[in-house]
Amino acid sequence: MTAIKVENLVKTYTTYKRGSGFKETVKSFFKREKVQINAVDDISFEIEQGSICGILGPNGAGKSTAIKMLCGALFPTSGNIDVMGYSPARDRMKYVQRIGAVFGQRSQLIWDIPPVDSFAMNKAIYGISDGDYKRRLDEMTELFDVGEVIHKPTRVLSLGERMKCEFIMAMLHSPEIVFLDEPTIGLDVIAKNKIREVVSEMNSKGTTFILTTHDLEDVEQLADNVIIINHGKKVFDDTLSGLKNILGSKKIVELTLTEPFGGSEINGAKLIGRDNELNISLEVDTEKQPITDFLKSLTDHVSFKDISVRELPMDMIITRIYSE
Amino acid sequence: MRYLKIYMTCLHTAFSRAAAYRLDFVLGNLITLLSNIIFPLVTVLIYANGAKFPGWTMWEVLLIQSVFSMSNAVASMICGSILWVTMDHVQSGRFETVLLKPLSPLFYIAAANFDTGSIGLFLGGLAMTIISASFTKSSGAWGIILFLLLFLSGAAVMCGLDLIMAAISFKWVGNSRIPEIFESIKEFGKYPLGIFPKAVQVMSALIIPVAVVGFFPASALLGRLDMYSLLSVIPCMLFFIFGIWLYNRMIKAYEGVGG
Repeated sequence: MTAIKVENLVKTYTTYKRGSGFKETVKSFFKREKVQINAVDDISFEIEQGSICGILGPNGAGKSTAIKMLCGALFPTSGNIDVMGYSPARDRMKYVQRIGAVFGQRSQLIWDIPPVDSFAMNKAIYGISDGDYKRRLDEMTELFDVGEVIHKPTRVLSLGERMKCEFIMAMLHSPEIVFLDEPTIGLDVIAKNKIREVVSEMNSKGTTFILTTHDLEDVEQLADNVIIINHGKKVFDDTLSGLKNILGSKKIVELTLTEPFGGSEINGAKLIGRDNELNISLEVDTEKQPITDFLKSLTDHVSFKDISVRELPMDMIITRIYSE
Repeated sequence: MRYLKIYMTCLHTAFSRAAAYRLDFVLGNLITLLSNIIFPLVTVLIYANGAKFPGWTMWEVLLIQSVFSMSNAVASMICGSILWVTMDHVQSGRFETVLLKPLSPLFYIAAANFDTGSIGLFLGGLAMTIISASFTKSSGAWGIILFLLLFLSGAAVMCGLDLIMAAISFKWVGNSRIPEIFESIKEFGKYPLGIFPKAVQVMSALIIPVAVVGFFPASALLGRLDMYSLLSVIPCMLFFIFGIWLYNRMIKAYEGVGG
C-alpha cells in the first residue's frame, strides 16, 4: 500500500545575488539582483507503507527541503503531496500527530533541562496516556541504553547521546511514519550502528522510515528503496539492488605509500586518484574479489604506512548514474 | 482542556529551565524589578521638588506607572517571547521544529517560552499598585470591572503588536531593531494623557492605543475615566485579532534555511 505519493513537487526560493568584496557589498546595498532557485525541481515518487526509503544526494541537492515539505514544515511552490491521505502543509495539525521527525541538525530537545523533561512536554502535547508513555519510554531507553542519560541536562550530553534522545522524542507517540534528516551526521561508528539497529527494529514492527543522508552506508544497511536527488531533480528511484546493479559493489581504498607507485592498477583494483606520488586511491570491485582478499594481497604489491576503506563518494555515484 | 494541560506542562518546563540557572533567574528578576522601580522614583523626585503633572497627585501618577509595569509584565509573560523566539527560529531555521508539533505554532511558542523573568516585574508592579491605590480615592466595584477590562485590553494591544512584528520577521528576516520603535511609543502610556499635545492623545488612545497600557486602567481605578476612553478597547482587540491572523498567514512564507 502506498503511504506517500509525491507528484511534480517544486520548491522555489527567491534570493539575492550578492558580490564579494567591499565595492560589490556597497553596490548590493542599493541594488540587488533577484535570483530564483529551484531547490526541489519537479520531482515525483511513491513510497510504500512499512518500507525504509533512503533519499540520497550531495550537500545542497534539495533532499532536506523535500523532507521538510513531506513533514508539513514548508509549503510547496507547486505540486502535490499525499501522505496517508493528508496534504502535509495544509492539514499540518492533524497530520503531524501521526508522524515523527528527527532533524540531525535541529534539536527538538530543550537545551537546559534533562531530555526526560522534554519527553514529558511531548507527552502532554501528543496526549499520550500515562501507561503508554511509561511503556514506550522504558522500551526506547532500553533499546538505546540511555536509562541514566535521559536524566542529565541536554547540554552536557555527547552528540551520540543527544541523537538517541532525539529519536526517543520523535518516537514516543508511536508515529506511523518517521522522517530522518541526516540522522547519523557527525556520529561515531558505535552510535551510528545503534541508531541503525533501532530503525530496523522499529521498521520490523511496521513503522515506515524516510531518511535523507549523504552516507551511502546508512542506505546500504537500512533502505529497501533509494531515491537520489541532485540539483533539485530526481536522478534515481529504484530498489537498493537496482542501485547496486548500476554501481556494482565498489569500495574505495586510500593508501599512504612508503615509496612511489607508478602503475594504473593493483591486483585488479583501478587507480582512480593520486593526490601526490605517495597518496593514492583505488577502486575495488568487491563482487570480483572480497575486500578482505584484496587487503591480504595488497602487501605483496606495494608497501604502505596508512590505509582506509570507504564507500563510493556521492559525486562519483551521481556521475555513474548519469553515465548509465 | 487539552490546551490547558499542555500550557501547565510547558509552564512547569519553563520553571525547570529557569531553575537550571538559579542565580540568573533571581538576578534577572531583581534587575528587571529595580530598573522599573527607578522610573517611578523620578516621579517622586519631580513632586518632591515642587513640580508636578497638572491635575494629578504624585500617588495618582505612581498608580498609572505601577499599572503600566504590571500590564507590561503580564504581556511579557504570556506572549513577550513570541517576537524574539520567532525571529531567532526563522533566522536559524529552527522554526520547523515548532511546525512539527500538532499545535498552533503561536500557542506552542508562547507556552514553551513562558517568560519567568517578568515575574519580579509583575510582583513589583502589583505591590506598587496596592500601595499607590491605598493613597488615592477608590472608585468601587464598577471601577475595578472597568480596570480589568482596560488592563486586559492593554495586554492585548501589546501582544497584538508583538505578533505583528513577529509576523513581519517571516518575510523580513533579522528586523531586530523594529521593536525599539514600539518600545518608544509605549512610553506615552506611562503618563497622564492630558499632558501631551492633541495629536499624541488621539494616537495614544485610538491609533496605537498605548494609553490603555497604563493610563486608562489606572484612571478607571481612580474613578477619573472618561467614558469615551472605552472606545480604545476596539483598536486593542483589532490589533490582537489582526496580529494572530497575520502571524498564522505569514507562516506560509517560512522558507527554512539550508540543511
